[in-house]
Amino acid sequence: MSELHASLLDTPILAIALTLAAYLGGIHLFERMGRPSWCPAVLIGAVLTAASLWLLRYEYVDYQHNVSWITLLLGPATVALAVPLYQQRQHIFALWKPILCCVPLAAVLAALYAVLIAWLLGAPPDVLASLAPKSVTAPLAMGIREQIGGSLSLMLGGLLITGVLTTIFVSLLARLLKITDKRILGFALGVNGHAIGIVRAFELGPTAGAFASLGMSLTGVFTALFLPLVWRLFGL
Amino acid sequence: MKLLRGFLWLLGFQLLGHAVVELLSLPVSHAMAGLLLLLAWLLAKRRLNESVATASQALIPLLAMLIMPGVVGVFFVIEEFAGHWTAIMVALGVGTFLSVLTTLWLMRRFMPREVVSADERERRL
Repeated sequence: MSELHASLLDTPILAIALTLAAYLGGIHLFERMGRPSWCPAVLIGAVLTAASLWLLRYEYVDYQHNVSWITLLLGPATVALAVPLYQQRQHIFALWKPILCCVPLAAVLAALYAVLIAWLLGAPPDVLASLAPKSVTAPLAMGIREQIGGSLSLMLGGLLITGVLTTIFVSLLARLLKITDKRILGFALGVNGHAIGIVRAFELGPTAGAFASLGMSLTGVFTALFLPLVWRLFGL
Repeated sequence: MKLLRGFLWLLGFQLLGHAVVELLSLPVSHAMAGLLLLLAWLLAKRRLNESVATASQALIPLLAMLIMPGVVGVFFVIEEFAGHWTAIMVALGVGTFLSVLTTLWLMRRFMPREVVSADERERRL
């Protein structure tokens, strides 16, 4: 029995099956809960996975090693993000001026505020590196982490929290500042809240959704280019 | 076969990105370089290859599932970062509030006024 247990934990097939099942279960529960924006499907899936690992006495390191057979697809899937970016070129060309003024500054500040606050509160360098890509979409943020270091899991956790908080703060501040322009709201959701912001933006309408995807892609690409460079310059 | 052909294109661009990054020792990930090279190639050709479109439509919806194993790890590092969680939470909370505020202000300042909201226009047509 224990031999079977060991050999099952040893095969990538179980790790992959577990991941697919937890993810599909996460989506199912997410739908049943009425698609709450404070609790994304991937978070529910992660909790389900963590619970199964604990039940199976499956070491996280071993799971991570075995599941890498499928997470390898993250590379080509990241390259594939060039396609939606290409499809939005009309928006980019038409609004290049506000985009050029806002995206670099907004992307730098999104990273800077968090890193500065954490630094003032005495967080060590690996925590700072994990927080810096917090507004970048996960696949690009994982690429940034390869360059600047930090904890992968802490970074992804920070990404999720940032996404959820962005949806809350955008609704709140839109009301306070009386902003109704769907383009601005969508853009702010995408720039700060990456994929989670996009989901919320599509609830506001197709224009907000398109601007959110645009904001997310541009912020991601820009941050992926400047953050490793800055990190290297400051010798962090 | 379109899917496979498109997938091969994506792998090709990732490898090209890999080669460029290593040869020029650039501070970006291989996949990120692949994304930029593919984007440059699409903009130069001004036409979206059908197989690349098929493969990207198949892969992009899988992104959330592909990052999930990494997210799971957060439950296993809670102790590793004990003592830093207040700093992390304050940085994420206050930092996100400030950056959302700045983005909204910047966009309102620079975005040209829209005559009729695009959604309205669609509804009227």
